Order: sequence, then structure tokens, then C-alpha cells
Amino acid sequence: MAAAQAGDRRAYDALLRACLPLLRGIARRRILNPAEAEDAVQDALLTIHQLRHSYDPARPIRPWLVAITERRAIDRLRRHGRRAGRETSIEDFGETLAAPGANTGEARVAATELRAAVAELPPAQRTALGLAKLEDLSLAEASARSGMSVGALKVATHRAVKALRRRLGVED
Amino acid sequence: MRTEDLIGDLATELRPVRRLPSPAAQAALWLGLAVVVIAIAVALHGLRHDLAARMLLPHEVAQWLASVATGVAAAFAAAMLARPDRNWRWALLPLPPLLAWGLSLGWGCLADLARMGPEALTLGTSWGCLRFIILLGAPLTALQLWLLRHAGPLRPMPVLLLGGLASAALCSAGLSLFHHLDAAVMVLLWHGGATAVLVLLGWLLGRPLLLRAPRLP
Repeated sequence: MAAAQAGDRRAYDALLRACLPLLRGIARRRILNPAEAEDAVQDALLTIHQLRHSYDPARPIRPWLVAITERRAIDRLRRHGRRAGRETSIEDFGETLAAPGANTGEARVAATELRAAVAELPPAQRTALGLAKLEDLSLAEASARSGMSVGALKVATHRAVKALRRRLGVED
Repeated sequence: MRTEDLIGDLATELRPVRRLPSPAAQAALWLGLAVVVIAIAVALHGLRHDLAARMLLPHEVAQWLASVATGVAAAFAAAMLARPDRNWRWALLPLPPLLAWGLSLGWGCLADLARMGPEALTLGTSWGCLRFIILLGAPLTALQLWLLRHAGPLRPMPVLLLGGLASAALCSAGLSLFHHLDAAVMVLLWHGGATAVLVLLGWLLGRPLLLRAPRLP
């Protein structure tokens, strides 16, 4: 470092490269995110460069480097903490339209198609499907409610589901 | 940018730098300048007429010495803290003299109370004290920050606060040489209060002025 203060570029380059593992170790101990930690290392290198005239060659260099890197890593963490409080990661949203209804378009189209498909089923199948699948009744209850036999309900439900699958393009 | 490339860039644009003087030398330089400035201010006002009598009172002398010691210790601690590798515990150095100064001011109040009764606690205004300490202390604090500007990217706030304390303590000591305040409670209020105001100003204004992240060269 004393040579670097005098302007020896090669010594400076060698010194910074040699202390890089030390700086990275300090930054990674403080910061989990590797990219953020590497940014802290670069901050520290800039500060070391900026403050190189304040180093006293009579003293060991390690504590000097460590103190600067710790400080930059803590600064990064603080800045990151402040930012994290204000922002939400964009990957969380598939759609980013402002109106709340605008993002549910696909679901509404699907619901309309399903309703149209159900409306086209024969009445017996529609009743069986409504009682057994939508109202979630047991077969005995559905039979009592609709006047159809348990066997007829089973067949009608099965056929209704099969017809819907075919209609909506889902393979068996 | 890759870190290895950054190192290459930093090394390529390396210029020789002049090493900073030691923290003790920096503190001594600032103290020298501060003493000269305060001495000029005191000379302009003229020494107080009863100074010789006052300086015979051990209590007054102790109080004056404690304020000077606070200023010197705070200046030295600020210069130490401005270096990255010095222990933060240097910041505790001015605490004992500061405590002694505060205690002696408080003791003075009690002594006045015993001597004069409740009227010792009559509060007057002494804007002159406040003005002197702040108007002289603020530029001295600024001067010290300029001398210790390498503290900017590291721990600017403690350095700034210690600088404010050093300036205010020395200004208060200078003020005692020409300004006449009989009641100790007034000294406590106006000297101590002005010191607190100066340190508080430093706290409020220092952050936007000082905290600068390093920039790419």
C-alpha cells in the first residue's frame, strides 16, 4: 500500500487482487445475496481507492481494509432494507393492469364457456351434474331430491362430465 | 462491471497521493487554529475585569480547565475516529472531562444556592453567550470537518459530533475569559445549552452534507 500511495500501479493492482478474497469473505458474511455482496465489495474497493492517502504504513493494513469493507457492506444492507420496504418484486404479478377487473378476463371467458357448455347438456345430465358435483350431495340425497335412481344419476353424471370434456377440448 | 475489471481500472488511473499527517498532528493543527481564532475574539472583547480574582478560586479554575480538556479530548477523538482502523472507543475519551465540566457547573449551582438562597436560581437571558458559542463554534466545526474530510465515507456522524463538542467547549472556555456571568446556573444554561445546540445542529445538518457514497472515478 505504501508503494501504491507513491503511485506504483503494479503494486496496487497486486495488493487489491490479493485482498479480494478477504473483502469478499467479509461482504458475504454480512450479505446473503451474492450479487449484492459483490456490489458491496466494489463499493469497498472504491472507498479504499478514495481513502488511500489516509492509510498509515506504520500500521497493519488488514484492520484498515476490514473496517472499510464492513462499513460498505452495512451501508449496502441498510440501503437494501430501505428499498425492500418500498418495492415489491415484479415477478409476483402475471398481469399488471391497473383496473382490478382487467386481470381476471381469462377466468371470466373460461367461466362463460363452461356455463354455455353446461346449458347445452340434456336436462337429466344437467340436473345430475348440479346435484352431485356442484351442490356436493351424496348419491342417495341426490336421488331423493331428483327422483332419479342412484344408477341413473351415476350414468348421467359420468356422461355429463364426458360431454363437457369433449366440448371444452380436454382429452381423457 | 466485474470486480476484477474494476481493480484493473483503479490501478490504471492510480495517481501518487500525499499521506495524511497523523491524527495527533491533525488534532494539534486544528487546536492551534481554534486557539488563535478564539484568542482574537477574546482580545476584541477585552478580558473581564475580575479575571485575576476569578482565577484564584480553585473551583473556577477547575471548571475552566475541564472545559478546555473537553475540547482537546474531543478534537483528538475526532481525528482518531476519522481513520477507518482506529477503535471507536476513542469516542469515549472526551466523556470524563465532559462529565467533570458538567459536574462542576452543577456543583457551582448548588454552591450559589447555599450562598444566596433561591435567588441564585433566577434565570436571565444571555443571548450573547449563545451567539458567541454558535457563531464561533460553527465555523470551527466546519474547519475541523474539512481537515477530517476523509471521514466522510466512513463514520462522519461521530466525527462531526465530536468536532461540534470540541468547538463548543473551547468557545465556552474563551467566553469565560471575557464575559461576566455571576450565577453558575446561567453558565450551565447558556454555555451548556449553546454546546448542546451546536452538537444538535451538527447532528441535523451533518447527514445531508456529509454522507456521500463513493463514486466511480
